[in-house]
Amino acid sequence: MLLQHFPEERELPLEQVLAGLRAADRAPDRLGYGDERVLDFLDALSHELLRPRLVRRHPELAPLGFFLRRSRLAQWTRATDGAADLRVPRGIVFHIPPANVSTLLAYPWALSMLAGNANVIRLSTRGSAATDELLGVLRETVRQADPAVRASQLVVSYGHDDEVTAALSAACHLRLMWGGDQTIDRLRRFALAPGARDLPMPERSSLCVVSAATWQGTDEAGRTAVVEGFYNDAYWYGQAACASPLTICWIGPDGQAARAGADFVDRLEALVAQRRPQIDVEMAVEKRVATYGLAVTASARSVGFRGNALAVVSLSPGRLLESWCGTGTFGLACFPDLDALAPLITRRHQTIGHFGFERDTLLAFARRLAGRGVDRLVPVGEALAFERVWDGYDLLYECSKAVTVRLPTTPPLRRPAAVAGPTGP
Amino acid sequence: MTPDPRSGCFTLAQADREAVLFPALRELTAHHYRHCAGYARILDATGGWSDSGRGHRNLGDLPWLPVRLFKNHVLKSIPDEEVFTVVTSSGTTGQPSRVHLDRQAAAAQQAALASVLRTAIGPRRLPMLIVDSGATVARAATVSARRAGVLGMMAYGRDYTFLLDADGELDRPAARAFLAAHGRAPFLVFGFTFLVWSALAAFAAEEDLDLSQGVLVHTGGWKKLADLAVDNDEFRRHFARFGLRRIHNFYGMAEQIGTVFLEGTRMPGLYCPDFADVVIRDPDTWREAAVGTPGLIQVVSTLPRSYPGHSLLTEDLGVVHGVDDGDWPGKRFSILGRLPRAEARGCSDAVGG
Repeated sequence: MLLQHFPEERELPLEQVLAGLRAADRAPDRLGYGDERVLDFLDALSHELLRPRLVRRHPELAPLGFFLRRSRLAQWTRATDGAADLRVPRGIVFHIPPANVSTLLAYPWALSMLAGNANVIRLSTRGSAATDELLGVLRETVRQADPAVRASQLVVSYGHDDEVTAALSAACHLRLMWGGDQTIDRLRRFALAPGARDLPMPERSSLCVVSAATWQGTDEAGRTAVVEGFYNDAYWYGQAACASPLTICWIGPDGQAARAGADFVDRLEALVAQRRPQIDVEMAVEKRVATYGLAVTASARSVGFRGNALAVVSLSPGRLLESWCGTGTFGLACFPDLDALAPLITRRHQTIGHFGFERDTLLAFARRLAGRGVDRLVPVGEALAFERVWDGYDLLYECSKAVTVRLPTTPPLRRPAAVAGPTGP
Repeated sequence: MTPDPRSGCFTLAQADREAVLFPALRELTAHHYRHCAGYARILDATGGWSDSGRGHRNLGDLPWLPVRLFKNHVLKSIPDEEVFTVVTSSGTTGQPSRVHLDRQAAAAQQAALASVLRTAIGPRRLPMLIVDSGATVARAATVSARRAGVLGMMAYGRDYTFLLDADGELDRPAARAFLAAHGRAPFLVFGFTFLVWSALAAFAAEEDLDLSQGVLVHTGGWKKLADLAVDNDEFRRHFARFGLRRIHNFYGMAEQIGTVFLEGTRMPGLYCPDFADVVIRDPDTWREAAVGTPGLIQVVSTLPRSYPGHSLLTEDLGVVHGVDDGDWPGKRFSILGRLPRAEARGCSDAVGG
């Protein structure tokens, strides 16, 4: 028995889930790519999520509200793709979102819905308050939605039941899965239909780069804005979102980079003291365990604790912080230029938040990396802003297919033979 | 308070204890700093060892390691060829801790453990009722903490009787026979706290046993009993009905092997042997918490010389009830529970198969 959380709460057997998805995929009034009925629903949802009362309670739901505004979504689906004459849904999409980043459940789902798919989302049994709130709003909003929307979208949860995962995997045309390497490996063992494909979103880590020279030339207000943006990138999901920065790389000559870094950390400390992120005892201990461990392995040269909410780790040359060390633990590294950082970038790296670099410099850096890591270079403060392109995939396109529609080629006009006329010497 | 000559290694008042322990622990810190490169890197990175210890003025100043570090890293102050034995903990999750002992350290920890237990049990081996199954001990392939604990305690008893049969069921005839043979003179009862409660408590009530000559030594934590809403007071009250008042819970960990904190029988709480102490730390400021204020327990002991385990921050919460005011001098404290593991709330944390 599965627990259904959307479109309404109830228990339902696996067969019914599968039958519902197949029926939605074949229904004559099924959703299409960029369907108005979906745009209506998502727009209504956007309004609900941006209600001040809700935003106060769960600020992390507000960006989702903005993301779902009709104007932008409609613009995306209207735009034509050079290679395709028409985009159509993929069919049935099975989503396995991360357990505790509440909003990551909604973004890929919304894009897949916009592509016209029937979607089934497996919800973690360990929900969060924000997830519950989001599902409540979704259930409320879908009552007014077109029946074709209601019939084709499902959020379910079930325990560790291989039979269910296997059946949903076999039934879908696209499987979107997030998780650590082990989770992805385990999920891959459940076979897909021959024509179906996987879109894995494995564990990633992120960093940010700041130009020391630009920092030194930035006024108070500018510095404050950067530090606030950084704070949100880092602390919003306890620094554990893939896009949250772990290392702050200062780019510039040694002395300047060190001075700028020290100034940044002081400002961050002041902001942390003001915002008071929730750091419980076990998190404080976790940070000690992790950072002392970095010292044991000589990855860290020094570890400074500024209360329990902020730990600053001076990394040994050639090191980046690669894994979460407890909320508010940041590696500090200095590089003379971006090129010096490039050899340390691996496929594991996802987002670079940046401050103080020209577009051309960032493009040249990305070109140099040539896909060996880093899919996003975004301003500090926008690391967590979900985008249509994520982990290097354009999700709207991945969730749809291209159709070629061509008419018979018109034969080239020939001059009547008579005009040319037989000529002879 | 004059030390009770029978108190063995529980004699030092707090001020005397600190006067002895502080220089010894500072010397140990310097020793491990010299002999364990990983430990030295930690102290260098965290600034925890300023001016080679000259900056440290009292026990609470000395650097500590989080106990879980021994799960993730090998930290030892002896060369590989001198490793005599590696003690592993029974971590409930993930990797066990590993603690390296040379021959000398292995002997020292056994002697220390004996000196503490003799305080509870007395100098002679007593007939021993083991609240466990003989199968736990016999299963040679398993290296469980339970097996190690029972085997270790058997060194302090004789004429063993196991209270549980191979299936974990109460062996009533064996228990009756034991009490008939040994119940009128001092005898030892040992078991893990939860088993003692689940097996012996009910049995004692059913048969209205006379346990007045018994000394109960138990360990293993209160988590399972807390689920049953049984605390130490209730535990002691229950057994007191059957005359069993000499009850000693003890607290210790693999990462500081040989050092155990022993429960007294009159003033409630755990007491520190002369070679050890506890510091309760406020987890916000990391400073020593006042008497009566709960915090994280730091355990210090002069025993660990082969690995840097002489000053450890545990993941247990505790509180000091009083100082020099109980059965034995020094701090009198209780364990309040274990910290949960911090949970990463990230994208990597997916639902799984």
